[in-house]
Parts: sequence; C-alpha cells; structure tokens
Amino acid sequence: MTVRTLFIGMDGATFTVLNDLTNPAEGEPVMPFLARIFASGSRAKLRSTPNPLTPPAWVSLMTGRGPGHHGVFDFIRAEERGDEVFFTLYDSRDCRVETIWSIASRQGVRVAALNFPFTAPPQKDLNGFIVPGFIPWRHLRRNSHPENVYDRLKQIPNFNAQELAWDFEQEKQSGDELSDHDREAWVSYHLPREKQWFKVAEHLMREEAPELMAVLFDGVDKLQHQAWTFVDPAFQKGELSDFHKRMRELSLSYFRQLDGFIEKLVTAAGPDVQVFFASDHGFTASTEIVRINSFLAEKGYVHWKELPAGEAGQRRDNSYFAYMDWSKTTAYCRTPSCNGITIRVARKPGESGIAPSEYQAVRARLIRDLEEFKDPETGERIIAEIHKREDVFPGAAMTDAPDLQLVLRDFGFVSVKNKLPVVQKRDYPIGTHHPDGVFIGYGPGIESGKVLGRRHITDVSATLLYSLGLQVPSDFEGVVPPAMFTVGHKNAHPIVIGAPTNGKQGVQVDDAMDADEKQKIMDQLQMLGYME
Amino acid sequence: MSNLKSGTTIETVVAIVQDLTQDWGLDYEKPIGAQTMLAADLQFASVDIIQLCVALEECHGRRFGFQDLLMKDGSYVGDLSLGHMSAFVDSKLNNVGSKL
Repeated sequence: MTVRTLFIGMDGATFTVLNDLTNPAEGEPVMPFLARIFASGSRAKLRSTPNPLTPPAWVSLMTGRGPGHHGVFDFIRAEERGDEVFFTLYDSRDCRVETIWSIASRQGVRVAALNFPFTAPPQKDLNGFIVPGFIPWRHLRRNSHPENVYDRLKQIPNFNAQELAWDFEQEKQSGDELSDHDREAWVSYHLPREKQWFKVAEHLMREEAPELMAVLFDGVDKLQHQAWTFVDPAFQKGELSDFHKRMRELSLSYFRQLDGFIEKLVTAAGPDVQVFFASDHGFTASTEIVRINSFLAEKGYVHWKELPAGEAGQRRDNSYFAYMDWSKTTAYCRTPSCNGITIRVARKPGESGIAPSEYQAVRARLIRDLEEFKDPETGERIIAEIHKREDVFPGAAMTDAPDLQLVLRDFGFVSVKNKLPVVQKRDYPIGTHHPDGVFIGYGPGIESGKVLGRRHITDVSATLLYSLGLQVPSDFEGVVPPAMFTVGHKNAHPIVIGAPTNGKQGVQVDDAMDADEKQKIMDQLQMLGYME
Repeated sequence: MSNLKSGTTIETVVAIVQDLTQDWGLDYEKPIGAQTMLAADLQFASVDIIQLCVALEECHGRRFGFQDLLMKDGSYVGDLSLGHMSAFVDSKLNNVGSKL
C-alpha cells in the first residue's frame, strides 16, 4: 500500500502571513519549501464557515457539509430548558453527518487522521488510524484507533504524549491579554508540540503508508493568537522594540520548523502523491473588546445573575460562559467563541423567554438595536454583519445555531462578561480569526503556479475524495474545484458525483438526557476552566 | 478503543479505570475497587471524569446522563468512588432513578 493523497492541515493559516514567509520583500524566504509548492501548485483563499471557528470549520472541512447539517457550532453545546440553560462539550458523537474518514474507509481506502478535532471518541470500525486532537494526553490511549496504536507510538524515539496533546490550561490563554514573558512562553510551548505530531505522521506514513494520510498542525492558530503583531507584515514597520524583534524571530522559527516538516512529509510521500493543504480560517488583528452581553443588558434583553460571594464568585466572574438570570433574560450570547445571539423562546406557557408569536418582532427589534450599536467617535457599526440563522445555517441542525450570527467590525470574538465599558480598546492587538483561510494543491495532475478564485471550506473534502479516486457524494455541499486540476488529469480521472453519504457514523447512542442533567455538565465545565 | 465490558458493572468500571490510568504514573498502591475514590486516590480532574463517563457510555453504547451523579443540590460533588459510578450506571441500565 502506498500513500495516494497527503493532506496537511494548518489551523488558522492565512496568505497574509504565508505570502510574506514564502516571498518576502527582502531577504531569504522563511518557508522556502512552501515557496516551491506555491510556484508548482495551485492555491486559493478558502472561505470558512459563517462563524470561522475551529469546531464548525474543521467539521465542515471533514464532512463537506455546513454546520446547519453537521450540527457542530461551537466548543460548547447548550440547550434551553425552561428557566435554565444547560451546557455540554461537543464530541465526535454530536456530528450528524459522515466524515471523509468514514466515507473513504468504508470504500476500502485506508486512512490516517492525526490531530483533527472532534474525531474522539473514534469510529470503531474505521479502516486506518485516528489519533485525535483536542484531547488531554491522559486520554489519548483510549481515544486513539486502533487500540494498539498508542503503544506503538510510544516506541517512537522521544515520543512525549504530554508535549503532543491538548493542554486545557495552556489553551485557555489564547484569547487573553498576557504579559510579555507569558507571550514568549506561549510561542515556545508550541514548537515541541508540532514536532511530536510530525514524528507521529512520519512514523505512520513510513510504517503503514495509508492511502489517505492527514495531519493537522494547529500551532499556527495558537501562535498567531498571541503573536499576530510579530508575524503580520503590516506590523513590521517603523521602530521595533527588542522584545518585538525577539518575538518575531521566535515566531519565524516556528514557521521555519513547520516548513521543514512539510518538506519531509511531502518528500517521504513521493512524487506520485497529490498533496493538499488547508486551514479552517485565516487570521487578522482584533483591536477592541466588545462586551456583547453588557450591551444587551443595556437594551433590556439580558438580566445578570448576582455573583456568589467569595472565591466562587470570583471564579464565576472569570467564567467562559454567560451567567445570568434566566427567568428574565430574553436574548444573550452564550460563549465568546459562538459570536452569536440566542433568543430565549418559551416552549410552553409559564416558561421564561418570549412567546413564540413574538419571535419575529423581537428578532427584528434586536437586529435594529445591533445595527444602531455604533462607535460614538466615527459612527461606524461595531457589528459589521448580522445574519439570521436560516440564511447561513440551512439544514436539519439549524435550530441548534444561534438565532443571529454576528461579525464584529474587526472580526474579533465577543466577551460575555458583565463588565463596562461595552467597547474597550485592547492594550495591544491580538490575533483573531478571519473568514479567509488557505487551500493549496500540489503534485501530479495539479495546475502549476495558478491562483484560483476563492473556494469554500466544504470543497476540501470533495477534493480529497476525488484525489483518492472516489466519487463525490451527491449530498456534499462542497465541490471539486476543476481549475485546480490539469485538463489531462480530469480527462483521465473524471469528477464523478456518486451516492449520498451514509449518514452519521460511529456509535449510535441513546441521546435522551434528563432535563436537569445538563446543569451538572455545566459544573463539570467550570472545573475544566471553560466556565470559570 | 477496547471494550472492557465485564460480568458486572463494577468490574467494568474498574477495568475501564485501570485502562485509563495505566500510564498516568499514579502513586497508588492499593487495589482499585469499589471504595477507590476518583479524585483523592486516582487524582482525577474534571476532564478525566468526563472522559471516564464517555468511556462508560461507549462501552454500553448509550448515554447515561452522568450529570445526575456529578451534581447534588446544584453543586458539584467533590469526589466519587467507583462504587458510586457503578451504582449509577446500574440504575440507568435498570431504568430506575439514581440510587444515590
């Protein structure tokens, strides 16, 4: 068996940075191998999901379907239950549609998917390997597939699961304002992590040669959150401090290392392999904090809950989640990462929330209020775009989406805290997600040196299946970008639309949960650090 | 992921916990059993408890709603024994209310 298709994910990668690192205004490129890929392959901006966030975006990339179909909208899932709101973490069991790992696997293609989020718990009958991302090291063994793969990986020289895996305490810092010392430590932390994933990918590719070999390097995203001003070319002008120069060099060393990993993987795969790269979203600078629930409180939609006294209150105040009086709150933002507003609709008389008959009027008023949320100095809208969920999340899972999806003027993520002022300038710009990521193809049959028009994130899965010689399921939203491939290749390998996907894969579980079960999950999340 | 379902629920819980913790480097020398406490004895953090819940659900092919077990009177239960976990799973498998 030989590798047929190599997919390298780069979480948060953007041409804003990669163009500079492959073709700098002066000096040698930081990523010379990627520069060769650019010259010899095709590339396009890749439009992410309406909320350009890891969970919905990577799941869309892995399923060829939008969040309205796959149902993963955020890290945290919430349900309205009368006077309570219940939160839980998403996992692979919550994805309602089939992944490319499953589609390829059931057609006899052996796959390896390394470090992709929401692949745990893994599909039990998968033909190949899953080592999931976003899982703490102590749980990698049980969440890797097949069951002996973890022990095999431990035999790799210098394998270190603690370096490799997700660390909740570390990741909490990505959106915080950190000290210079902590920012430097943050970037340094991700250098050995990526090396661990590279070694795992290199090992499995050499030893197993799965036909679809896929690995995700997520340090790009993590680094850029805290080091955006050191990698964005726009911030490299004028007088630069010694700290800035040191951080830039440290950040560039990350990308230099990544370029080396890419070169080794592509070279090991061999000249006959088609290689694709994609990111789940791009990056840009966020310059202000928008406390959306404080704004909604001023407008009468949100009613805060009184914080408990003492340490518990302090922890609650630092919570990742909204904390409010559910009996009075009619519209609110659940989490910073969701960038959406949920309208609380009473399911039966006597429950809190608005009456169903009021929904359209309340939503229209809410939209008007958000449109009038403006910068007092410039008159510019703080919320640049306001999308109704039926417009951006069509599908069977739409009702799990926020009622309104917001895009802030600087693409930042909102704050849900009970603090003022409602809008505050940041001490320094931090990296935030931009809707345009990257999509790159390279290898035999792929057009050389071509820059294509913007593609959609769901196109990646269609392209990977096509590259494997498989049909593209008819219920995919994503399509193969024809211009990425040479005429000769398309003539020899026509793009074929085939049978629809098989629906949800993996363990079918009794999903019924007791009404008050979710409250307890909420407390579990508090301990995780998401909530408090 | 191995299926460690055993003859009784407590045996299953113990087997899964032993499997989960095998390379954690724990300094706990007593046999793991019904009296073993997750946090005090095995240093379980919240994320570890969630993963244990997922492992038990995967083992049985259904969700149990462990929140009933993990919360009491609106507050998080500080620690749990494997016996508590086992009794809760039994109560769900037998479709009766929590025995706690």
